[in-house]
Amino acid sequence: MGSGLSSMNERTLREVEQFLYREARLLDSYRFAEWLELFCEDVRYWMPTRSNRYPLNSKAISILDASRQEEYEVSEEDELAFMEETKDTLQRRVARLDTGMAWAEDPPSRTRHIITNIEVEDLVSKDQMRVYSNFVMYRNRGEIDQDFYVGCREDVLRRESGELRILSRKIVLDQNVLLAKNISNFF
Amino acid sequence: MAVDVNSLVDTDSGLISRRIFIEDEIYQEELERIFARCWLFLCHETQIPKPGDFITTYMGEDSVLVMRDTSGRVGAFLNVCPHRGNRLCRADNGNASAFICAYHGWTFGNDGNLKAVPNLQDAYYNDLNLSKWGLVQVAQLDIYKGLVFATFDKNAPSLMDYLGEMTWYLDSFFDRREGGVEVIGGVHKWIIPCNWKLPAENFGGDAYHVAWNHLSALTSGFTQAPAARQTPGGGTLSPGNGHCILAVGAEDYSSAAEEIIQRYEESIRAETLSRLGERLEKITPNVGTLFPHMSFLRGSSRSFRVWHPKGPDKIEVISCQFVDKAAPQEIKDALRVTGLRAFGPSGVLEQDDMDNWEECTRTNRGTVTRRHSLNYQMGLGHDRFDEELGAWASDFKLSDSNPRYFYQRWARLMQADSWDQV
Repeated sequence: MGSGLSSMNERTLREVEQFLYREARLLDSYRFAEWLELFCEDVRYWMPTRSNRYPLNSKAISILDASRQEEYEVSEEDELAFMEETKDTLQRRVARLDTGMAWAEDPPSRTRHIITNIEVEDLVSKDQMRVYSNFVMYRNRGEIDQDFYVGCREDVLRRESGELRILSRKIVLDQNVLLAKNISNFF
Repeated sequence: MAVDVNSLVDTDSGLISRRIFIEDEIYQEELERIFARCWLFLCHETQIPKPGDFITTYMGEDSVLVMRDTSGRVGAFLNVCPHRGNRLCRADNGNASAFICAYHGWTFGNDGNLKAVPNLQDAYYNDLNLSKWGLVQVAQLDIYKGLVFATFDKNAPSLMDYLGEMTWYLDSFFDRREGGVEVIGGVHKWIIPCNWKLPAENFGGDAYHVAWNHLSALTSGFTQAPAARQTPGGGTLSPGNGHCILAVGAEDYSSAAEEIIQRYEESIRAETLSRLGERLEKITPNVGTLFPHMSFLRGSSRSFRVWHPKGPDKIEVISCQFVDKAAPQEIKDALRVTGLRAFGPSGVLEQDDMDNWEECTRTNRGTVTRRHSLNYQMGLGHDRFDEELGAWASDFKLSDSNPRYFYQRWARLMQADSWDQV
């Protein structure tokens, strides 16, 4: 850990919290154009997959082996992900929603992003910070359809002209086989 | 069987009963007569390249462990400990010389043989024949151009006979360049609440839905379709045995996701033409379903997937992306990212499909709804056998011709008591 609250400016922490809560509110109220503005032009928005992999060198499987999670469970950067987006493709995804013919969102999902466990870590670079958060995204749609997407995010926020912007976002969903029929919302 | 198949499938009139998409009695017969009988796709060889590599999948609802043993030979077994029936391997893939059952410790080699049993001497009095209690093996396994298939039926025809004319069409996806294809690491697995036949028939030739259902993706810059030249040719092709192909015209790359992919396709034209021959002057195979439930596409995404049945109204999709092994890295990367944006759980094309398949399944719970047959009459009487293509071909590019052949094959298998009658 680079730093805890001791060296963290409390005001920055509150600012980050409010930033993430506002982002969640924009998503949950279909204000996608405003949501897009929160991302840097060179953003990397990445949602890897997770699998149950076999430990390479042990007979007795230790779940305490920290490397097991990152190394074996989460797909590599050059592997297939659930989402691997740029600002441009995020914009295209939003533009598609705006055609009135994106059937997976017609009727639109009723989403609620619950964002918790926010931790802020200073980065070496002065205008950047790493932010960890957990999420529960509840989706209800149509009559009785519902899905829970639960996981964590690792963001790098950059200050641009005084405003916080998302430079990178890694979204790790706590599922192997995705239990929802699709991912038609954002995280 | 108790189910009267003739009353369910009438391909001469283009009428299919909704019952086959929802009724459990019919589904149970499918597991017996289709999934325990047909050749089913397991994985691509590049997913298990080294001795000891394994991958877990399904054949029907049976959990299956596919592995390359220490000597390099590929085998497939029920992923089930024969002792108390525990699931043996809980990993998706990996490398192992042996598998130890979590329950009592029975240990199996990567060739499926039972190697060790705790307390063999004192509790079993050395009176257990280990050679009889290995993992249950598939009846036949064969590999075509890197595609690993198996069947549980020892009387099934050979894989080459089962594929028949489909082999050329598989070549056009998986062996069009020197070295064939490789699978990109990682996999999409997800649950769709729909009957398995709906995605199978969709990929088997539903060109009709593309222009309407996928219009939002086509107009939002996710394919080259609006910009690229589209040829008038192409159509639905049934090369036999229930297999289905949807082709576009020759040199039509309009479904490429980005211009560099379109350029790549053009640049390898001479090679693919020399490998695949003159058929490629007539058509470009674009999407297909290998009966019963493996589908693949080579348009806005290079993906192959299996629609594993999990009940009459549920499937688990296992989907991978493949690329020509000889392609430059930047093309492989471009195909990966554009492919996952188009197909897969978040794919801007596929997410709309899944929503339709779910509702097409769920409505059939209605008793009265179920009394009314579905319409598969498009192009009825307007297909003919094309000698050059070795397939039943529709006159026009939009047709229900392929699903009619698909369900004809389905009906024949459902009626037959053995492969002799198919």
